Amino acid sequence: MPGRVKKRSPLKAPDRPYIALGLEGSANKLGAGIIKHSTDGSTLVLSNVRHTYITPAGEGFLPRDTAQHHREWALTVINDALNKAGVSLHDIDCICYTKGPGMGAPLVSVALVARTLSLLYNKPLVGVNHCVGHIEMGRQVTGAQNPVVLYVSGGNTQVIAYSQQCYRIFGETLDIAVGNCLDRFARVINLSNDPSPGYNIEQEAKKGKRLLPLPYTTKGMDISLSGILTSTEAYTYDKRFRPTGPSAEDGEDIITPQDLCFSLQETVFAMLVEITERAMAHIGSKEVLIVGGVGCNERLQEMMGVMAKERGGNVFATDERFCIDNGIMIAQAGLLSFRMGHETPLLKSTCTQR
Amino acid sequence: MATQAASPTIALIEHAEKISQGAEAKIYRVQLHPAGSSNDASPVATEHILLKYRFHKQYRHPTLDASLTKSRVAGEARALLKCVRSGVNVPGIRMVDAPEGVLGIEWIDGKSVRFLLGGGAEGEEGEEGEVDDDSTEDTAETEEDPLQEFSITQDSVMELIGTEIAKMHQADVIHGDLTTSNMMLRLEDKAVDLYVLERAFSSTHPQSEPLFAGVLRAYEKKMGKEWPAISRRLDDGESRSTARPSGTALMLCVSETARS
Amino acid sequence: MQTFRYDHLPTEISTVHVALYTDVENSAALRSRIVRASQLEGAEGDAEREAVNFAFIEARLICSVLHLQTAVYQALLAQAQGALRTKTVHSEILWALNPTNNITEAIRRYGVADASKSLIVVRIGSPDLEQGDVNEQMHKVVEGTLAPLDELSDITDWASIKKYYKLNGEAAVKAAAKDPAREQAIVNEIVTSSVAMKSVMG
Repeated sequence: MPGRVKKRSPLKAPDRPYIALGLEGSANKLGAGIIKHSTDGSTLVLSNVRHTYITPAGEGFLPRDTAQHHREWALTVINDALNKAGVSLHDIDCICYTKGPGMGAPLVSVALVARTLSLLYNKPLVGVNHCVGHIEMGRQVTGAQNPVVLYVSGGNTQVIAYSQQCYRIFGETLDIAVGNCLDRFARVINLSNDPSPGYNIEQEAKKGKRLLPLPYTTKGMDISLSGILTSTEAYTYDKRFRPTGPSAEDGEDIITPQDLCFSLQETVFAMLVEITERAMAHIGSKEVLIVGGVGCNERLQEMMGVMAKERGGNVFATDERFCIDNGIMIAQAGLLSFRMGHETPLLKSTCTQR
Repeated sequence: MATQAASPTIALIEHAEKISQGAEAKIYRVQLHPAGSSNDASPVATEHILLKYRFHKQYRHPTLDASLTKSRVAGEARALLKCVRSGVNVPGIRMVDAPEGVLGIEWIDGKSVRFLLGGGAEGEEGEEGEVDDDSTEDTAETEEDPLQEFSITQDSVMELIGTEIAKMHQADVIHGDLTTSNMMLRLEDKAVDLYVLERAFSSTHPQSEPLFAGVLRAYEKKMGKEWPAISRRLDDGESRSTARPSGTALMLCVSETARS
Repeated sequence: MQTFRYDHLPTEISTVHVALYTDVENSAALRSRIVRASQLEGAEGDAEREAVNFAFIEARLICSVLHLQTAVYQALLAQAQGALRTKTVHSEILWALNPTNNITEAIRRYGVADASKSLIVVRIGSPDLEQGDVNEQMHKVVEGTLAPLDELSDITDWASIKKYYKLNGEAAVKAAAKDPAREQAIVNEIVTSSVAMKSVMG
């Protein structure tokens, strides 16, 4: 459990400038970012480039096709990042890549690129945990000191806090991730995947008026989301459901896709805020940091802000540049790790889906 | 205090002593039934109760908040009643105001297992200051073991916990939020007094059981209505272990009701 | 007679007068008077209803003062929230005491019966209602002996209570079968808790 004394960081200020390249591809975003740590202790994002594999409405992304997308775009995205940063690969101190968790095939395809560059330019590799990448970048951007972290994305739903030298998971989903839940419902009502299904759900939810009852399942600091997805989907088979909005002869008692997006968000986010608050109460923290793709959602940020304020604290969130998977967060976490003396030898530069 | 238009239960809370605040609920101590003014010889004594107030969460949609609060109060009350009926040591229910999110239960005099095992008091409102990592160990004070007050060993407490949870599960009640903060060790001074005397008898006057039984008979007669409760705790203790005082009973509290 | 003041409740129901009558002689007449009062019309009806404006409770079915207070309190809450399930706050006490939702059964079991020997009489009102006046009113309708509330323990019919609450097979009760005092303490706890949570019994 966190103590009460602010501790000095074990990481010394750099004796010279350090530059790192970060490569991310654990899901459908391919990202390359370049970060610089200067001797005055400052951190500078030199570039942060991303290309997203967007599938047609109603379809999700499959591992094989996603890996294919990353292979096709790897060189373009990396070159773009180098050009925008105005550096060459020779100037780089280390190459950081996402070790996991994530989808196997896309992870491996990006790790292969990282290994190749490492051998070609004789640069050390640093494998980075995707979640830690999100958290470290979130801390860097927001200045949050020791927050409870809500990590919400297509593949992850976790409440994390730093305790006894480790990021520890205090609570998580017992079945599907919140982003997965939202994305899958977006598919059910045929919302576009551009720019992202979650973004489109958020826009639809703003037009929703009616809160429909949905299962609310929190267990201690864990939550369950598969039941709520099923129930929300079930409303689309309800007699009162109007997929294209109300018609002239409809009365008050109808259900629109907007109502469902609204109800889904209100219920799922309330559950997320609740378990986050429990973790904050448990460890005695007043700060909360939201990271991961779903963290862009302004309604979630708003609800979390109300909760944090009631507790006399603050919510920290980042915008889509850092919330959504990106290369710069991998560069940031990897470079911190590198400066602490960590490297990933070639033989150990594997990936893990979990 | 402005009680204008406030519901009766909220007005009651305004006069109650606040004990603690968790993420989900605020805990108060209050006398629900005031002592009566009377023309009887002996006015009725009145007990304290614990109020668990699931306050409104501003971040939640009001409709969702209301239905959730109501169903949680109802769920907790039903689980408690099931436990009471099945002989699990839980506080009795004293009042329910589900629309306001308030559950009133029997006040338990005791200490949380969390406190007794040196986990510190349930302190949310304390000075937190800058929260950071790993300075936990130095807060462990080297004062005397809080368990000594109960003259009970750590092992016996573990045994009590296991037994109570088993009883609860046999009643098909799932707690959902079992923590050491939600378990209280109840200290019943009167029963402990008797226990200490019983021990003194058996150690200094071997084979003195019949003698002590005589003490108990007279005690029971004189104590009248107070006896059943004391007897229950005395028996609770003796049936399980001779190594701990009979006055100690573990109470399972349903989520966040425990105090320091 | 005892009087309890609940200062946090609306004034018109903040005062509760409770009396225990033993050796009641006129239970049958009292019961029919209550029934008739509910049917009379006009000024005469109002006067008669006011005369019997009490909760008459079968005292042998009450485990303890706490049990009674718990039922009264839940009735007061229902009245304050406009959530009465029966006609008056007094009849609501009988509803609260009965383990089921059946109002007729509640009145038959927990109200005054022709054979009732002991009654608890409750009057809820504002603080303006003096204990002495209530006492006098009660004496006009109940022919019996006013007894201290703690004599309740001599009257309680534990067998009937266990039957109504279906407690004979209950684990907690069976475990204490050999010790009547302990068994009564357990029955009292179960019954009191049941009354307290009846509004959410589900």
